[in-house]
Amino acid sequence: MREQAEPGVKVFPMSEDAPMLASEAVGPAQQEASGRYSSTRTPASVALEAAGRALAPPERAGEPAVTLDNVKVTFGEHVAVRNVTLALPARQVTALVGPSGCGKTTVLRAINRLHDHTGGRVEGTIRLGDVDVYAPDTDPELVRARIGMVFQRPNPFPTMSILDNVTSGLRFNGIRNRALLREAAESALRHAALWDIVKDRLHQTALRLSGGQQQRLCIARALAIEPDVMLMDEPCSALDPVATEKIENLITNLAREVTIVLVTHNMFQAARVSDNAAVFLLDEDRVGELVEVGPTVEIFDSPRDERTKQYVTGHVG
Amino acid sequence: MIGAAPSQWPGEEAATRRDWQARERRRPIIQASARRSLGRRRRAGRFVQVLCVLAAAIGLAPLVALVYYTAERGLGGLSWSFLTQAPVPEGIPGGGISTAIVGTGEIVGLALVMAVPVGLMAALFLHERRGRLATAIRFGADLLTGVPSIVIGIFAYALLVRPLHHFSNLAAAFALAVLMLPIMIRADEEAMRTVAVDLWEAGVALGARRSRVARSVVLRGALPGLVTGNLLAVSRGVGETAPLLFTVAAPSFAMTMLIYTDGTQPFPAEQQTAWTTALLLLLFVLVLSGIARLVAWRLTRRAR
Amino acid sequence: MTALSGASNLASVKAAIRHRHARRGGRAYVVLRWAAAGLFVAILAGLVVSIAVDSSQAIAHSGIGFLWSGTWNPAANQFGAGILVVGTVVTTLVAMIIVVPVGLGTAAFLSELAPRWLAGPLSTAIDLLAAVPSIVVGLWALLVLSPVFANYVEPFFKSVPALGWFFHGPAYGPSILLASVVLAVMTLPTIVALSRTALSGVALADREAAMALGATHWQVVREVVFPGARSGIAASLTLAVGRALGESIAVAMVIGNSPSVPHSLLSPGATLGSAIVNQFAEAEPGIGTSSVIALAAVLLVLTLIVNAGGQALLRGMGPGRLRRRGRDRVTKAAA
Repeated sequence: MREQAEPGVKVFPMSEDAPMLASEAVGPAQQEASGRYSSTRTPASVALEAAGRALAPPERAGEPAVTLDNVKVTFGEHVAVRNVTLALPARQVTALVGPSGCGKTTVLRAINRLHDHTGGRVEGTIRLGDVDVYAPDTDPELVRARIGMVFQRPNPFPTMSILDNVTSGLRFNGIRNRALLREAAESALRHAALWDIVKDRLHQTALRLSGGQQQRLCIARALAIEPDVMLMDEPCSALDPVATEKIENLITNLAREVTIVLVTHNMFQAARVSDNAAVFLLDEDRVGELVEVGPTVEIFDSPRDERTKQYVTGHVG
Repeated sequence: MIGAAPSQWPGEEAATRRDWQARERRRPIIQASARRSLGRRRRAGRFVQVLCVLAAAIGLAPLVALVYYTAERGLGGLSWSFLTQAPVPEGIPGGGISTAIVGTGEIVGLALVMAVPVGLMAALFLHERRGRLATAIRFGADLLTGVPSIVIGIFAYALLVRPLHHFSNLAAAFALAVLMLPIMIRADEEAMRTVAVDLWEAGVALGARRSRVARSVVLRGALPGLVTGNLLAVSRGVGETAPLLFTVAAPSFAMTMLIYTDGTQPFPAEQQTAWTTALLLLLFVLVLSGIARLVAWRLTRRAR
Repeated sequence: MTALSGASNLASVKAAIRHRHARRGGRAYVVLRWAAAGLFVAILAGLVVSIAVDSSQAIAHSGIGFLWSGTWNPAANQFGAGILVVGTVVTTLVAMIIVVPVGLGTAAFLSELAPRWLAGPLSTAIDLLAAVPSIVVGLWALLVLSPVFANYVEPFFKSVPALGWFFHGPAYGPSILLASVVLAVMTLPTIVALSRTALSGVALADREAAMALGATHWQVVREVVFPGARSGIAASLTLAVGRALGESIAVAMVIGNSPSVPHSLLSPGATLGSAIVNQFAEAEPGIGTSSVIALAAVLLVLTLIVNAGGQALLRGMGPGRLRRRGRDRVTKAAA
């Protein structure tokens, strides 16, 4: 069942009634291998917790990984951003562009419910796959476990070693198996182009790394939980051009397997790296809103909206 | 990657393919583990939450109990005559603590006269000089704040009581001054430092010479902070007993001493005196702290 | 942050420039400042010297064994600080066992759980506890707590089988347990204030990184916030120990002044501070007084070491603003 020859098609036999364990979801050839680190339980004990819901990743490439429908985010009296209706295609890089203060980061953080503790109220619908992120019976922790996030300034956990940093997400989610943790860490670090640099100092503090390396560590940390979507909030803004270039290459490579949403105020970066672009601007009431969205080539070459044209040709923002 | 079709299978490299397979294996395991452990993780959090609320309740209890019992037992003895009459010998009913109130006022007043100017000048010294001496003095002040008050009392005894062969309010005032001095120095310097930064620019921009600007301007601007810091130091000094143990001539000259000597006696009348005196002391200290905090709060509010 | 509005800024600066005194008094001010600094240094030095000198007689009499010799019996001319050091350590230790969970839990509540409208007033209330004079705490402990302990608390602990050894024997009222509780009450504000500053000071970015990985609130606190606040919490504990070591009058009122080996937490005992309070008046001039002053010397050295350590930890808490907030809290807690 696993060895599909067709590229880009993943079959995840997961629905509300399906068993949750990998060992039960894969074919017999894989079962022995995965038995190494899955803790098998009796069928009776593998009952779904009522509070959890299966989060099924998209089945086909091209089907959106995340959809936003008429999303509006308010802080107290102040509306930060509104009229956001957007579909983020799976395994592509979508850049959220626009000048600062137009709500790009606000929208990004709404996707993984980071506004829960900052007092922002999110209206409208956000779906991850076919799950309503803000439904009353959706657990925010589980949503966030399917989404990886990289912040503007690198923020590795200062009191943890490099290895502990990378495995932190796995450990938070209850994974204790050492072999699995090590395997996941190495894979994530390789994907972040960091393995060769840190493989001999996994137990050192993360703070000795340079800024660009720290940011790649944060990317590795987010990758380790095998998310479906990666949210990146201006990941290169605190970095020098060399480090920026490395991370842009990373993004391009990662996009083959993970959906990436990238907030950037740098139009050139968006042009270099993204497949699609969503333009955010301030409307007349100085409230951010989504003006236009489409393939990056179109947005930059032949935008439909007049405001987009102004922004892209540098008249605004 | 503009315009490329999404997701081509990257390559034939076996390693990459193995890695992809491994990750595909891991993903559902991770998600399952997240889901499975969520209940346990949340329950742990709720348990700790309960413990923390309990801890906070226990933490608040002593203050509540202290204020409550001191008020309950002390109010009974509070009267105008209590405040204005001198103490009478043991066993005879009546009398008050006027000598103690006056004595405490004298002692603390003397201590302030000694400590406030020195503290201010020393703080100015620290504020305007850099260098090792200033750092050493700062370190010394921090250490002195941690010296037990009883040790300071013994110091005052050795310096002012023994050589002169008699106890005195002066010695007591000296002990309190030594106690309050380091607190005042640090608080004063802190108040100045916060103000100085902005006023430097204003002063220097107007062409004033640095040394002139420092003194008057910084002092003027730091006034609220200075008041706060000194008030807090005073409230600490008023409540001290140990330094007075070795320096006052008689317990009836200081409120804290009176509480100690009367409170430890098995007679209800004396204990009542102790409670009422304690209530007066507590009220005074709380009001003083409250004023200091109010001034500090207004100061930070104006700053916004 | 500007402390004054722009208008009064300019006004005060102009006034200062015009102020003649500022020009003329320059030299006098310099002299005064140096005098004050010198006076302060003299006081510090004088303190150490006079204590050292006055205790020399006792050290000469009892030898260096004074520090650990176990008997304190002035009547028999035996002066050993050992038993008192033990008493000091035991009361401080038990006090820490009581106050650390309560203090850290309260700090965590204030920093992580309490809504803003509650955290402020509650935090102020705990700080006010620091302002309560130690004699009032002692009085309350002696006249209110002691009977409660004798009638309810101590029998309760006696009945718990596992703790039996700690609580056996007759209870007369004054006890090590009571003294430890008093110390716990007095050190609580220090721990809560500093730990709360340390916990709140952990960067939001680190918390959010953990949340974004799927951690629950408690996981964020346990894995990111507490470890990040480590040095601040260590500073608070150290300074609390320093405060507990030096507390004498309140302890003296409830500990029973009995410098002998305690049979359990319920027996009376003595600490360095309580012994100085209780013995000074009756000490015979010469050897007696000198020995009591020698106790003060031991206490001084102990507290200096612990407080220096605490201050060093406070410095390690982080650069600039955070450290200043921490030190402000120490000043306020000390005041």
